[in-house]
Amino acid sequence: MVRTFEIAFRLKNARRVNGILFSLRQIPLLGKRIPVGVYRSGGLKVFAGVLAAIWEILTVFLGKFLYLLLMVGWASSQYGGVGRAESFLHIFFFLTLVGAFYNTYLFNPTSDKYYAVILMRMDARRYALTDYAYAIAKVLAGFLACGLFFGRQAGVPWGLCLLMPVFVAGCKLCVAGYVLWDYERNRRAMNENLPEKWIWALGALLLAAAYGLPAIGWVLPWQAFAAASLCAAGAGIACAWKAAHFQEYRPLLQELLRAKREGTDLRTATAKAVQEQNRKMISEDRDIRSSKKGFEYFNDLFVKRHRRILWKSSVRQAGIAALLVAAGSLAAVKSPEAAEAFQELLPVFLPYFVFIMYALNRGTSFTQALFMNCDRSMLTYSFYKRPGFILRLFVLRLREIIKVNLLPAAVIGFGLAFLLYVSGGAPGVADYGVMVVSILALSIFFSVHYLTIYYLLQPYNAQTEMKNAAYRLISWATYLICFVLMQLRFPNVIFGALCTAFCVLYCIAACVLVHRFAARTFRLRN
Amino acid sequence: MQLEIRHLAKKFDKKEVLRDISFTFEEGKIYGLLGRNGAGKTTLFNCLNRDILLDGGEFYLEIAGKREELGAEDIGYVLSTPTVPEFLTGREFLKFFLEINEGSIPDPKPADAYFDFIGIEAEDRDRLMKDYSHGMKNKMQMLVNMIAQPKLLLLDEPLTSLDVVVAEEMKQLLRADKKGRITIFSTHIMDLALDLCDEIVLLSRGELEKVDKENMDSQEFKEKILEALREEQGAQAPGERQGAQAPGERQGAQAQEEEADGSHI
Repeated sequence: MVRTFEIAFRLKNARRVNGILFSLRQIPLLGKRIPVGVYRSGGLKVFAGVLAAIWEILTVFLGKFLYLLLMVGWASSQYGGVGRAESFLHIFFFLTLVGAFYNTYLFNPTSDKYYAVILMRMDARRYALTDYAYAIAKVLAGFLACGLFFGRQAGVPWGLCLLMPVFVAGCKLCVAGYVLWDYERNRRAMNENLPEKWIWALGALLLAAAYGLPAIGWVLPWQAFAAASLCAAGAGIACAWKAAHFQEYRPLLQELLRAKREGTDLRTATAKAVQEQNRKMISEDRDIRSSKKGFEYFNDLFVKRHRRILWKSSVRQAGIAALLVAAGSLAAVKSPEAAEAFQELLPVFLPYFVFIMYALNRGTSFTQALFMNCDRSMLTYSFYKRPGFILRLFVLRLREIIKVNLLPAAVIGFGLAFLLYVSGGAPGVADYGVMVVSILALSIFFSVHYLTIYYLLQPYNAQTEMKNAAYRLISWATYLICFVLMQLRFPNVIFGALCTAFCVLYCIAACVLVHRFAARTFRLRN
Repeated sequence: MQLEIRHLAKKFDKKEVLRDISFTFEEGKIYGLLGRNGAGKTTLFNCLNRDILLDGGEFYLEIAGKREELGAEDIGYVLSTPTVPEFLTGREFLKFFLEINEGSIPDPKPADAYFDFIGIEAEDRDRLMKDYSHGMKNKMQMLVNMIAQPKLLLLDEPLTSLDVVVAEEMKQLLRADKKGRITIFSTHIMDLALDLCDEIVLLSRGELEKVDKENMDSQEFKEKILEALREEQGAQAPGERQGAQAPGERQGAQAQEEEADGSHI
């Protein structure tokens, strides 16, 4: 057993050390200086080994520390009607029950288990037992230290603090024992990451009990917690005996780890999931047709089959905006104070709407759908990359994305002007005009912006991974600028005029850039 | 017509994947490009398709003694993992393709004639391609590339993941359609290359080397190829595996590597 544990631990550690070295090589500039040979030996390898050891120690305490600090300690301090110590124990009790099902350790299909049991063909029983015993030992140590620290802070008596780790370990062992027993009877290998429906329901119920009951003034008596802990300890010992004598770890783990056979690479799995998700966005409606020709036909079918992600949210946004305008107008008519507030705010509130229009814009979803469901495949065809074709499709797509975004923008623009009118009116007609035009210009600007950076910096590779730092930087800068603008208060007429002028100039510049460079830049990244 | 490659070079980090390649490919022939995993086959294709920038050298077509640049419309590129626009039906994709290439496709036919030619059943023609099987997607990709009649057709391990019936159909199509174009077929399965191709070219240590095709079926010939490729051991191109696979190629090629056996080199 000791030998098995040693081998498994070394295997896990090697993976962690290499993971650290891999991450170091991904750091811009620095990574280039680290040679591939670093995996072999050397100072960096030792350094990564030290980091891995520190991380291993941290895993004993860090998660439990944060969990008890935030989910139990902080949460328990929020209830006024019940004692702090009582609410602390109450929340801890119910969350532990949830965790017993969702964090079993034994039934978590980790890559480490896959490498050890499936690839390296280690003795499944010995591996599972030593790995599980180590995990339970970490639970005991972690909850003993953190439980005492936070429990005492909350005023929980020493004896009950000492029972905390016993209760956690006991509950986990009980669930493990139940699942092993269930496997013997029904051949069902529970995957803790894909719990059955009844576990979801039970989890929700326990969660509601954890945070809901103290709110209505009811908490678990400490005697109940103590009794439950002792019962859990007793049952846990029985279940530990069951786990130690269970003989079918290999078939159980093989079934649990079956999905890993298709690859343990998280990036591949994520890319697959993203592709599958996007595939589901394609409408199956057999009545969708198009009477257009060529690129118009292609684009028309794309939009119609992606109506759900393109137009549905846009219509929803427009509806919500209309409701808000109606509610605001009603408030302005009924209450002079509200009208006054609107009249004061609206004429200087335009910069705020830069951020709102940014947040509402469907550009990112549009370009993402374009890539995932269309350009990812089409860019592998030479004919699709002809400069003339790229530009024709760009124009069609631009028209479409502008249309999608203009609907909510028009409702917001005209709605704000109407709200200003019913609130008492603006000094001149120009104020209304500026408001409407600026909002529409902002909407068009963001539409052009997203499509332009997509065409000029096409950031994805065929595996749908984002590979362009400049694209990320621009997206981030766009957010930051919009956020900063939100803090400004400027007279609408000046801001609106400047903003509209900027949007027009930007759109012209963007189209010129796309015209000149897109044929070269609109490619799949390697 | 000839495809002339002159002093083509490409490296990733410090690893030279393609070293000063010069080679002439001739019209009407299918070239079997053989190389070990990571030898640089996909990198060569990506360079020719201008998906990645060259570090040096050039390539062009020579038609009746005149030099012509290779345009996007001159190249057909079929990947091992077929990629088709999944939001369209097979018929819609074909209609779109025929319409935008109107005038440049010699002797265009009705869509159904093309489907009959490639062997896609009538009931599948109006289904969304997201529901197509791997083989059907591959057929659509191949069909579109064949209708376009490109001067250069690059096939990056397109048959190895297909079932035997579809693979055989594809081979027949390629043989029947090789006139008037240069076809380069990359594979790491030697028997496939020997069965289909008119010429065998080895990509080894970053260089292209034509193998004398006499007695192509003999064991001696196979041994000769294996010997040439074995020499490359230790000189593979990790840079390529990490950074230069063809778009959409990586997973498919890995799957094929695992599946393929027999004369897998």
